[in-house]
Amino acid sequence: MLVLPADKVISTFTASGSLRVDSDIAAKFKSGDSVVVRTMHSSGHTRLPRYLRGKRGVIHMDHGVFGLPDSKAHGQGERLQHVYNVRFAAGELWGRAYAFERDSVHVDMWDDYLEPV
Amino acid sequence: MDGIHDLGGMHGFGRIDPETDEPRFHAEWERRMFGLMMAAFATGIFNVDEFRHAIECMAPAEYLTTSYYEHWLHSLEQVMLEKGEISRAELELSWSKAAEGLA
Amino acid sequence: MLEKGLVEADTLDAIVDLYEHNIGPKNGARVVARAWCNHDYKKRLLSNATAAIAELGYAGSQGEDMVVVENTSEVHNLLVCTLCSCYPWPVLGLPPAWYKAAPYRARAVAEPRAVLAEFGVYISEDVEVRVWDSTAELRYMVLPQRPSGTGELNEEQLAALVSRDSMIGTALVKAG
Repeated sequence: MLVLPADKVISTFTASGSLRVDSDIAAKFKSGDSVVVRTMHSSGHTRLPRYLRGKRGVIHMDHGVFGLPDSKAHGQGERLQHVYNVRFAAGELWGRAYAFERDSVHVDMWDDYLEPV
Repeated sequence: MDGIHDLGGMHGFGRIDPETDEPRFHAEWERRMFGLMMAAFATGIFNVDEFRHAIECMAPAEYLTTSYYEHWLHSLEQVMLEKGEISRAELELSWSKAAEGLA
Repeated sequence: MLEKGLVEADTLDAIVDLYEHNIGPKNGARVVARAWCNHDYKKRLLSNATAAIAELGYAGSQGEDMVVVENTSEVHNLLVCTLCSCYPWPVLGLPPAWYKAAPYRARAVAEPRAVLAEFGVYISEDVEVRVWDSTAELRYMVLPQRPSGTGELNEEQLAALVSRDSMIGTALVKAG
C-alpha cells in the first residue's frame, strides 16, 4: 500500500498511466460490423447502460484491450478484452418519434457486452 | 446493476440549471473530500470499479437527494469498511464526533 | 484516515491545490487553438489525442486515454457520462455540478437538442448531433469549430475565445 507524500502529488496525478493493455487478444469485431447489445440484468457492477440493452449498432472504432469492470469491481480478475466505440442511430434508441434522422449516440462497449447480428 | 445511477433516457428530472461562475468546490468539506478520495485511491486499497459500484449500491432515494461529494463520502466509507481498513465501530465513532461538532 | 496514516494532511492540500488552481479548461483551450493554427497538429490530435495533448504538457488522471472529436459543418458533438461523471480532467479540470447531476445525465442522450437549446445552442436539422456517452476509460474532448472573423488572431488570442462548455459541446465558440 502506498501512502502518497505531498511532494509526489503532481507527478502521480499527471503521469500517463493508461489502463489500456498491450495484448494480442483477438477482437471479436472490427470497424463497420453490425452488432446487437446483449440483454443483461446482473446485480453486480457493469458499464452497460440500461437504455442500450438489445439495441443494434455499428462498430465505430476499436479502442484496444482493457480490463472488464464487471469482474474488476468484484475481485474476479481483469478479463482482458477489446473495447469498442459503437454508433447507435437515435431512432433505434428512442423510437420513430425521435424527429432528427441524422442524430446518433456513440457509446464505449466491451466485447462481452456485444453479439454479432 | 440496474441501479438508480443508470440515468440515460429517464424522464422527470427537469431543467439542467447551470450555475454561473460556479466555484470548483462549494464548501470546505468538499475540498477535503476530494483530496481524501484521491489520496485514498493512490494507496491502491481499492480500484475505480469498486469505488463506482459502492456509489451505485446507495439507496435510490438517498442517491438522488444527496450531492456528488456526499456520494464520494458514502463510497469511501463503504470500500474502506469492506477492505477492513476501518471498523464499523471506528466509523460510527467518527460520525458521532462529527455530529457533536455540528451541534 | 489521517490517524491511521493512510493519507497525509499535506498531501490532501497538494491535491486540492493541483485541481483547484492548476489544472483547468485553459489547458484544453490551448490544445484547440494549436489545432486551429497548425494543420499537422490537428491531424495528430484527431488520430492520437493522448500523444498530441501530451505534446503541450497535459496528461494524467482521468485523461490517460483521450479521444478528440471534431465539430464540423456536418456533425455537432456533445459529451456526457450517463452512469457517473467521467470527464477529461487533464484538459478541462474538474467537471461542473450540472454535468454530474441527474437532469443532464438523463437527458443528453435522449433529447440532446432540447439540452442544447437550454444552453442557447441551436443546431440545424441538416447537422448530425452526435452524443458520446463515456462508459469506459476513454475520455473525450470536443474540438469546436473556429469562428469566422478570427483569421488575424494568434494562438494565444484564439485560446482566450475557447470556453470550457465549447469543449463539452454545450457552447459554440464566438469571435468575441
